[in-house]
Amino acid sequence: MNRSLPFEIFRYAAILLALAVTLIPTLWMASMAFKPIAEWSAAGADLTWWPKSPTLDNFRFIFGTSTSDLIVALDRTAGKPILASLLSAVFGTLIAMTAGTAGAYGLSRFGSGQNLPLALIQLRLFPPMAVMIPVMIMWAFFGLVDTWWGLALIYGIVTLPFAFWLMKTFFDDMPREIEDAALVEGCSRLRVFMKITLPMMRPALASSALFVFILNWSDYLIALLLTTREWVTIPVYMASLSSSMTGQLYGAKAALGLIAAVPPVIMGIAIQKHLVRGLTFGALKQ
Amino acid sequence: MSMLATEEKISVTGDLSTTGTRIEDGGRRLGLMLTLPAQLLVLFIAVFPLLMQLYISLTDWSPLDGIGWWQAYELWNNFANYTDLAVDSRFWDALGRTALVMLICVPAEFLLGLGLAILFMDNFAGKRVFYSIMLIPMMVVPAVAGYMFFMLFQSGGPVNDIISTLIGRPFALAWLSSPGTALIAVMIADIWQWTPLMFLILLAGLVGVPEDQMRAATLLGASWSQRFRTIVMPKMKTIIIIALSIRVIENFKIFDTLYIMTGGGPGVATETISVYIYKVTQQDLIWGYVAAIALVILIALSILVSLAISRMNAAKEA
Repeated sequence: MNRSLPFEIFRYAAILLALAVTLIPTLWMASMAFKPIAEWSAAGADLTWWPKSPTLDNFRFIFGTSTSDLIVALDRTAGKPILASLLSAVFGTLIAMTAGTAGAYGLSRFGSGQNLPLALIQLRLFPPMAVMIPVMIMWAFFGLVDTWWGLALIYGIVTLPFAFWLMKTFFDDMPREIEDAALVEGCSRLRVFMKITLPMMRPALASSALFVFILNWSDYLIALLLTTREWVTIPVYMASLSSSMTGQLYGAKAALGLIAAVPPVIMGIAIQKHLVRGLTFGALKQ
Repeated sequence: MSMLATEEKISVTGDLSTTGTRIEDGGRRLGLMLTLPAQLLVLFIAVFPLLMQLYISLTDWSPLDGIGWWQAYELWNNFANYTDLAVDSRFWDALGRTALVMLICVPAEFLLGLGLAILFMDNFAGKRVFYSIMLIPMMVVPAVAGYMFFMLFQSGGPVNDIISTLIGRPFALAWLSSPGTALIAVMIADIWQWTPLMFLILLAGLVGVPEDQMRAATLLGASWSQRFRTIVMPKMKTIIIIALSIRVIENFKIFDTLYIMTGGGPGVATETISVYIYKVTQQDLIWGYVAAIALVILIALSILVSLAISRMNAAKEA
């Protein structure tokens, strides 16, 4: 559009500044994760931007294989919370994608469930905090509190709007000629859906599932309310990583934060083509 | 229903005129079957819980009372929760604070995102890599982002270190423990995390602006700002509304980053509506009252949204 030299200089300067602001918080945490306790910079100590003597002690500490220089030993390691996060996010994604894909196909091809698009948007609109009281009561009633399957169920419902809307736009975009041809061949509609449509939609299904997984993996509030001890997820566990003796366990928290942050960032970059579609409920496509 | 159904009928009868109706019926049955799980989940999470919420909100019920929620009528309190809420200054303060955060964060994210999107409109060396990096903040788990900013804003932390270097003398502000700056720090974290979303959506819109129109306007001598106002902005109107709506809705829920950074404190200095409800739920345990707050917010939001949608429809028809 505008190719003058001053503009190009301004553009690179502005973008480099933006990149610096974007990266510094993440890099600071990454650097903190590899710092020994002496470099955590409590009050008075000099600030270390880059670990002077990098160490894996923080990672060993949260997995319980080393107490490094800390006097405290953890009463529980990060293993179980990571498992809790994984199980609840994976099965939550499975629930959302199954119900969402089936529902989206039913609406896109047969016009069933005309109420769903709006109902699901409304579900997304409300702050989770404003509907948690009944959920907490119901989950307690069904014995789902502090279980990964209880979390998976609520995650599946909370992210259903995204799975449904994403798959609906993919089905709407898909040409129907192949399906019609199979129908002429005498396939039942269910068979066409299972054997022809779904395999053709594999890339769309994968992108949507990754998108939904990122959302489930990112939750903090719901896990905070619905888990207490056995199946706390990574963010809830992370908040418990401070003790009166050592104060904030900066390095340990940073190590855990890094473990939690890396998978969604990689997945998000892998599906960046579909991010706009997902975030705007299919209203916009790239 | 009608539009999709007729489309289906036309294509089907066109192909197989003799068996068309049978397949149409089969399709409808399959459609109902396929949408059933989603319908059940919506019912399970929307209808019954809302009725339960309404019922409990009329009582003093708390999970510590030792009676089941269905017996809450024994604690009926003549709408006291709602009259209490009207004079609950902590609630109204939290609501005001939430609005303040929204009024600062969303426009800041929009302007920064738009500026960056304009810079990314045409090709330049390194664009793809820069673009991917720019998206990182919104992929970071919000609770982890909260912890990142918690570390950054410590008085011996990097933010103060950078400021010290810039102004050339020691600077040691305890950002998160003084009321005024805690709210600023929380808003900076939100802007850091969600500007990329604005950038992503607005850039998708800008790239969709037809190139030939732009070229024609350039040939006719339109300046850059003229082209922007007369060609780009009209095309962008819907996209801007979508982007702003998404951020307004999500920003209203603000909890994760904020709660990790400050826990709503110091005092109540960063207590937004979600944090306030969380505290009443977990610490005071008066769930009847929480249910009342939640319902009031749900109803207010529903009214606002239906107003917004009807205004948008009116604007579309005009």
